[in-house]
Formats: sequence, C-alpha cells, structure tokens
Amino acid sequence: MEKNQFDLCLAVLRRLGEQRLLDHFILIGSWALIFYDKYFAGQGYAPSIRTRDIDFLLPLPLKMRESVDIPKLLEDLGFIVDHVGQKGFIRLSHPELIVEFLVPERGRGSDQPYSLPKLKINAQPLRYLDLLALNIITVKHDDILIKVPHPAAFALHKLIIFKRRAKKFKAGKDVEQALMIMDMLIKKRDQEQIIKIFRSLPNAWQKTIANNLIFLERSDVIDLFK
Amino acid sequence: MRGAIKGVLAEELENSIRMKKSYEGALRKLPKGSLAIRKIRGHEYCYLAERVGGKVKYRYLGKLSAAEKQKHLEAKELRAKYRKLLSKVKKQIRYLKGALRGKESI
Repeated sequence: MEKNQFDLCLAVLRRLGEQRLLDHFILIGSWALIFYDKYFAGQGYAPSIRTRDIDFLLPLPLKMRESVDIPKLLEDLGFIVDHVGQKGFIRLSHPELIVEFLVPERGRGSDQPYSLPKLKINAQPLRYLDLLALNIITVKHDDILIKVPHPAAFALHKLIIFKRRAKKFKAGKDVEQALMIMDMLIKKRDQEQIIKIFRSLPNAWQKTIANNLIFLERSDVIDLFK
Repeated sequence: MRGAIKGVLAEELENSIRMKKSYEGALRKLPKGSLAIRKIRGHEYCYLAERVGGKVKYRYLGKLSAAEKQKHLEAKELRAKYRKLLSKVKKQIRYLKGALRGKESI
C-alpha cells in the first residue's frame, strides 16, 4: 500500500473524528478491509486490490446536531468538490483518494442525491446498506475510533449486490472480497456471526444470497445456514 | 482477476480526467495575482502582483484589512497546492493511458 495514500486516509479520518463525525459515519467499501487486520490478527489476512474511492455510509436518520462544512474541512488537504454525473453526486477528490458518501435507499427509492445541507454535501442512496449499518464493529487505529461493518456483514452484503453491478469488473471484485472474508471468518471459527447476521435478514435477501452462492458453487457456505 | 485490474485502471483514468477538470476549474475560480506587501518608512503598502501579457505588473490595492490579507494568502497557498496536485493528476493520466494502451490484458 502506498504510504502517502494511507497517511492521507488517516488524515481524513482524524479530521472527521475531531468533529465527532466518526461517531455517526461508517467506513465501508474496500477501505474497510484495511481495518480488519486486527480482527483477523494471526490468520494470514491480506486485503486485495482497492481503488482510490473511500466510502462513508451515513445511517438514516442521521442523529447528529453538529453542522460541519465537510468540503471546507478537507480543503487544505487538497480535496476538491467534484459533481459526478447528471444528478450531481458530490465527491471530494484528491489524486490519492476520492471520498464519497452513501445513505441506505429505502422504499421505492430515488436516483436523486440525498441532500445533507448541515454537512454541505449530498449522498448517494443505495440498496441493502442497512445490512452494513446494523452490524458494525469499532476498530482503533492510531487513537482514531473507526466504525466499520462486521466482516460477516461486509461479505454477505457483497454476496447480495455483486449481481446488480453494471460493471463486470466490480462484480468480480465484490465476489473476490466476499469469499476472501467468508473464508477468513470460517478459518477464525467465527461462523456463528455469519449465521446470526444471515438469519436477521429479510427472507428475500437470504434467498438472493443462497442463490448467488449456488451460482458461485459455494454450497459449503450455504450449508452453514441450514 | 486480469480483467478486474484493467477495469479498475479504466475507472481510475476516468476519475483522474474528471479530477483534472475540477482542479483546472478551481484554479480559474481563485482570485488572480499574488499579494505583495511593501514596507516603506514604517507603513505597509499592499500591491497585487499579476502577470499581464508575460510581464509582472503591480497594482496598488490601498489599505487592506487583516481579513482581506488573510484571504489573499489563503488563495495563494491553495493555488500552489492545486497546481501541485494538478501536475500529479496529469502524471497519473499519462501513466494510466500508457498502462491501458498495452496489448496484453492486465
């Protein structure tokens, strides 16, 4: 991993933490994998390739009173506001890192950005993110407390969404990460967590995961849920 | 896996191209010129140094408040930072285009 990039990631986390935003935000996506190293300590854990995108999930309703201008907070680190696509989703871009914000999509859903005026940003609503928001662990890195999804939730989420991906390479990356984490959890004899989270999901989601595991020829994982 | 890497690189290229435009836009939006403060017989005189037709010209700004001076200094720092990052993004674009141009699948 490039040192500059990781240092910048820590600088972003530190700033968000200082404003108490990390009490609410959950670090998701491939950057969360980096912070599972302590959870899988001694298991030979090595996260796979990762893009520059660092995603933060903002659980809804967002129970925070603070008003923080996030673009301003990260401006002197060199981050710039990017409006992506016709809908104008906000990203904070830097050559080393791209910060994105996501919220769980509910009900009929919307393809419009979810506005967060108190934070001077907007967020992209996406399906199935509640699965991550409801199953989190807190990890400590350099005195920064970071909320990340439980690895089992991370893997189950990837197993639901990979078939919905428009870009094939992203689906491939999802599958690779999901199975790597699943195998690590099994190696750690942490099947109970996988089963517990799986059983807490709506039936339709459970069915999707089971079908996707059949597609991936991983009936050994399905056997855990029986 | 090989296709995945190529896909990641293509997406990174797309991101870098968009980032380049954003940094160029941000640089255009920053106030032009650099604040130059001259001290003459104990008094401060503020000038704006700007390049006009290849030559650096100094425009007298009159008395500036501390807040206005700070604004100019912040813009100067941000301009330097954005220029550095823009150069980095341009290097990334060159690298990524080169990597994606290769005939072998990566």
